Amino acid sequence: MSEGARSSGAGRRDGSFIGSPRDFWGGLVLVAVAFFALYASYDLPGMRGFAFGPGTAPRMFAVLLACFGLIVMATGAFTKGPDIDPGTFRGTLLGAALVAIFVLVSKFTEPVFVSLGYRNAETIAAAVVVFLVTLALARGASRGLLFVVASILIFAGTIRTLGLILASFISIVVCAHATHEVRWRETVIWAAALTAFCTFLFPYALNLPFPLWPRY
Amino acid sequence: MFDIISNLGLGFGVVFQPVWMDFLGVSLPIPMNILFCLIGALVGTLIGVLPGIGPVATIAMLLPITFGLPPVGALIMLAGIYYGAQYGGSTTSILVNLPGESSSVVTTLDGHQMARQGRAGPALAIAAIGSFAAGCVSTVLVAALGVPLTSIALKFGPAEYFALMVLGLVFAVVLARGSVIKAVAMILLGLLMSMVGSDIETGQSRMTFNVPELSDGISFVVVAMGVFGFAEIIRNLDDQSEEKRAIVSSKLTGLMPTLHDLKVSFGAIVRGTTVGSVLGILPGGGSVIAAFAAYTLEKKVAKDPHRFGRGAIEGVAAPESANNAASQTSFIPLLTLGIPPNPVMALMVGAMTIHGIVPGPQVMTKQPDLFWGMISSMWVGNLMLVIINLPLVGLWVRLLRVPYRMLFPAILIFCNIGNYSINNAPFDVAMTAAFAVMGYWLIKHDFEPAPMLLGFVLGPLMEENLRRAMLIARGDPTTFVTRPISGSLLALAVFLLVLAALPMIRTKRDVVFTEG
Repeated sequence: MSEGARSSGAGRRDGSFIGSPRDFWGGLVLVAVAFFALYASYDLPGMRGFAFGPGTAPRMFAVLLACFGLIVMATGAFTKGPDIDPGTFRGTLLGAALVAIFVLVSKFTEPVFVSLGYRNAETIAAAVVVFLVTLALARGASRGLLFVVASILIFAGTIRTLGLILASFISIVVCAHATHEVRWRETVIWAAALTAFCTFLFPYALNLPFPLWPRY
Repeated sequence: MFDIISNLGLGFGVVFQPVWMDFLGVSLPIPMNILFCLIGALVGTLIGVLPGIGPVATIAMLLPITFGLPPVGALIMLAGIYYGAQYGGSTTSILVNLPGESSSVVTTLDGHQMARQGRAGPALAIAAIGSFAAGCVSTVLVAALGVPLTSIALKFGPAEYFALMVLGLVFAVVLARGSVIKAVAMILLGLLMSMVGSDIETGQSRMTFNVPELSDGISFVVVAMGVFGFAEIIRNLDDQSEEKRAIVSSKLTGLMPTLHDLKVSFGAIVRGTTVGSVLGILPGGGSVIAAFAAYTLEKKVAKDPHRFGRGAIEGVAAPESANNAASQTSFIPLLTLGIPPNPVMALMVGAMTIHGIVPGPQVMTKQPDLFWGMISSMWVGNLMLVIINLPLVGLWVRLLRVPYRMLFPAILIFCNIGNYSINNAPFDVAMTAAFAVMGYWLIKHDFEPAPMLLGFVLGPLMEENLRRAMLIARGDPTTFVTRPISGSLLALAVFLLVLAALPMIRTKRDVVFTEG
């Protein structure tokens, strides 16, 4: 990790009161997380006499986190530091959005597919949606992040229904697009070789129970 | 003294214990544990040699493959992976000038210079020899300190445990790089994340939003693999700088160091081992600071300090022995007190709990075969590195030439399959994606994820001991200060924290970490 090298370039945007945007916005997000945790644990019982309740420790740590987040924010406002890498915000937001899309689509299409008689098809639908969204959005610096996240999600969505072979192959091909230098023929051959290796390694050599092919 | 020998004897008995297996109708004795150690060291080196992937990421990625094994075998294999990953990191530092992890940053200084002078072979060999020598000494040290420390630990009550964990976390903050306040914030974030799931005492679900998959809490593998493994991959893809790797292309000739090399390195190895062993025991110490300290010491005692940075063999021998000694002795707080002193040990705790072993003083008394087997396997793991990895250096060099665009899909798919196989749960895999995004964000905002992982692992233990101590003291929080041991531990923690926050010390500390 090259934290030392990165922190040397102290670029300050003109007209902004924030000296170190990485710290300022980072601290702000931590404060937000702390408040979210307080909200999530508000219904848990607290102290009962001198005994801790289930909610005591989470609230304690959340309050402490909020305090330290505020300190990080304050130091970020008043000290100089490096700028945030371009694309960080967009990448994080879109990456989180992909995960959210995956979860929401699989949750809300489940009753539809069940009523149609296709069990477990909702995660495939979610994987397809994630794939399409990634194709539409992945550009610039966040390309690597989005394709990696998409390939993980696609694996998660397809492994149960399509089996190990198809799920691995598809997710390898998708994640190979995370670099700018995609070579189609090489990718397909490499994906096939890796899939063959995984098929041998996991179900046979390590004796893990995986379905290899789609189940109907 | 005699105890140590008999205990180590028991350990080696476990390590060498043969399992009778049928091969084509012939029953053959196979020393399974040695085999696990061997596989672990090999696979660990294989992943650890990849630039930008350190031991934590390697272990996080390889954790799932050990789950199918019996507990002793799994832990032995993990230890093998750890040493392999660390040695792999040194190999990349020397050959490519890209440290795979922070503890081998120092090795690049002289190691890569040696490689450029055509002495990559001796550099790699002295790294392995130094590590092995350090490993021998520190294995005995671990064995010797195991029993007395355990007997102290058995006297600890919940208040002392809580104070000790606070001290460990403070050490981790003080000795880590970057801002102290941000590191504390990361620990708190980790603690908070560990609270998700069922409450230990009442079983009430906390912060789960009625998601059934979260009722057992967030899986440790999911966090580690996402935040360390996948986020590292994403960061490497972002950087794109690794395309310009300066692999030393000259043929590796003459692997063995000369007699003169050995003579010069001997003192360096001894000093490195001493420094490393001491720093490794400190909670939060670990191999990074040990390597830096050993290098600085070598520079100080050298007759001609100008040779350093220009290919001095002591500059490889000392930090390499120090980081190996430290990584070994950092098992001491884990095995005796049950407290992980660094993120790698935090991963070990995770692995142990998955196998149903609660790390702590009771491991030694209740499962002596596991305890001593693991200590003996450390030595065996080091031996493996010397006898296997040195002849295989050529293979690792070839692996470094494989373009990254082919490597990362392979890593990614192995991780995914491994992750899925733990619980057969697609939910876990999807959640890992979320943690990968989180890890990416943390890196971009200069938050070190390591303290977070430490907090995440220690969270349940800390809460349990805090609650018990408060209950015993009838709700009186002064119990932590008035009990002598816990009071002095907490005082030490506060003292360290204040010290680290002082501006004078801070700049000095930054110098240590950026010295190049």
